[in-house]
Amino acid sequence: MAITRRELAGLLAASAAVAAPQGDDEETRSAHEALEQNAQQLDKIPLPMATEPACHFKA
Amino acid sequence: MATLNDNVFFAGISDLVKRLRAKEFSAVELTRAFCERLEKIGPTYNALAYSLKKEAIKQAKDADDEIKRERYRALQGIPYGVKDLVAVANHPTTWGAKPYADQVFDDNATVVNKLNKAGAICIGKLAMVELAGGGGYRYPSASLTGPGLNPWDRTRWSGGSSSGSGIAVAAGLVTFALGSETSGSILTPSAFCGVTGLRPSYGLVSRHGCMALSWTLDKIGPLARSAEDCAVVLQAISGGDSDDPGSAGKSFYYGPEYAKKPKDVVVGYAPADFEEWAEPPARPDLQNALSVVKSMGVQIKEVELPDFPYGAILSTVLNGEMGAIFEKLIRSGRVDELADKRQIAGLKASLELPASEYLKAMRVRSMVQDQIRRLFFNVDVLLAPTRMGPAPKVTDRLDAPSARPRPQSRGLNGLIPAGNLAGYPAISLPCGFAEKLPVAISFVGRPWFENQLVALGAAFQAQTDWHKRHPDFRVKLA
Repeated sequence: MAITRRELAGLLAASAAVAAPQGDDEETRSAHEALEQNAQQLDKIPLPMATEPACHFKA
Repeated sequence: MATLNDNVFFAGISDLVKRLRAKEFSAVELTRAFCERLEKIGPTYNALAYSLKKEAIKQAKDADDEIKRERYRALQGIPYGVKDLVAVANHPTTWGAKPYADQVFDDNATVVNKLNKAGAICIGKLAMVELAGGGGYRYPSASLTGPGLNPWDRTRWSGGSSSGSGIAVAAGLVTFALGSETSGSILTPSAFCGVTGLRPSYGLVSRHGCMALSWTLDKIGPLARSAEDCAVVLQAISGGDSDDPGSAGKSFYYGPEYAKKPKDVVVGYAPADFEEWAEPPARPDLQNALSVVKSMGVQIKEVELPDFPYGAILSTVLNGEMGAIFEKLIRSGRVDELADKRQIAGLKASLELPASEYLKAMRVRSMVQDQIRRLFFNVDVLLAPTRMGPAPKVTDRLDAPSARPRPQSRGLNGLIPAGNLAGYPAISLPCGFAEKLPVAISFVGRPWFENQLVALGAAFQAQTDWHKRHPDFRVKLA
């Protein structure tokens, strides 16, 4: 079967992606999930408009 | 040269100061002995980042000269170590992380200058969790120097992120150490290693020259042999610093005579912490510690922490600030050189936190501060187990969910993130052993209430001897 250099590069890249350790992707997904879970917990807290952040600008 | 008994390695500050002034041994002899011990034992517990022996001996000679001339200073000749996020001029300051392995600063951190002024002798940089663990680490091995091994049992973790500081004090490699806390990094290694640790009020101790992980949460504080030793060190390192924007411009002076007597102190605690939240093997000694506190004559009141998701708030604040601090490391790709994959992913994800989310967390933090301030209308201090059990195994996943059912009562669960969000001081006191490993209780007080915390700690330690116990090391030094 004839295969162009471009197709070969594509195949190699795809197989490399498959061979890449799943761990990193899982860690990334888990880190994003943690941010999302934090956001969900914070969303449950009613915040009056007058509540300012716990940091103060000093002129 | 005098032969130093093993007991000098586990002696407290005032004892060593007295013996130095009595010329029982010289500062050079003491420093040399501690340095040899730190260099020999430190690496076997992954506690040593960098030895400062040469400079330390030179400083010790100066201390001996001064002692000869009867010119005394509070910590003269006392060997100590600093967490490797505290800059010591012209020596590596790695922040426990491979990307910073060759980093050298031109100037000392303010706390090192203050300790120099008090006569203390810095003998080494102590190992730590990489970047103080801000990205969230999965395993104790998240460090340039490997996992901190517990001096009481090498198969257990020392706690972090001030791992080397906890180990070095517990193993008698230094008389005291400096650590830092963003959320639990002084209290946890203190508890797991069986030493006394003091987290100061936010703003009491300058962080100039120390790695920033979170500008609004970071604190520098001592780990030592007793509450009173922590006070002596805190007195030396506290005080205003125009180089630290978070500095409150306040000083600390230890005067037990100015603290309330135990009978006038109202201690808030939650029975559920000691009966349900605490892991079963730790309960007997934690409950015994509670009885000791009660026997001191304090007034006791049952309390609960206000209901907030403290972990989520703290994590969001930390992510927002840490992402900004380490943006360059993350975007350069060098973040991938860190040891812990979860830490790497956490740091990368922190850059994606929306500003609105950070500000929301800081607004909720205002509510937390207000609610905790109100809680302290009714009590002078809070008392809780520092950690609910002894140190985990060094191979354990640190983020594994607990297999035990969640207790019904909230108790004071979440006191570490809550206290850090509010900027309140705390002292951790060894109070026994579970599975042959130390466990500890903590008192948390109002900001600038360190004097009372230390006085209570000293009263507790006058009735117990847990702080005097140490692992049995009999090491022959060449």
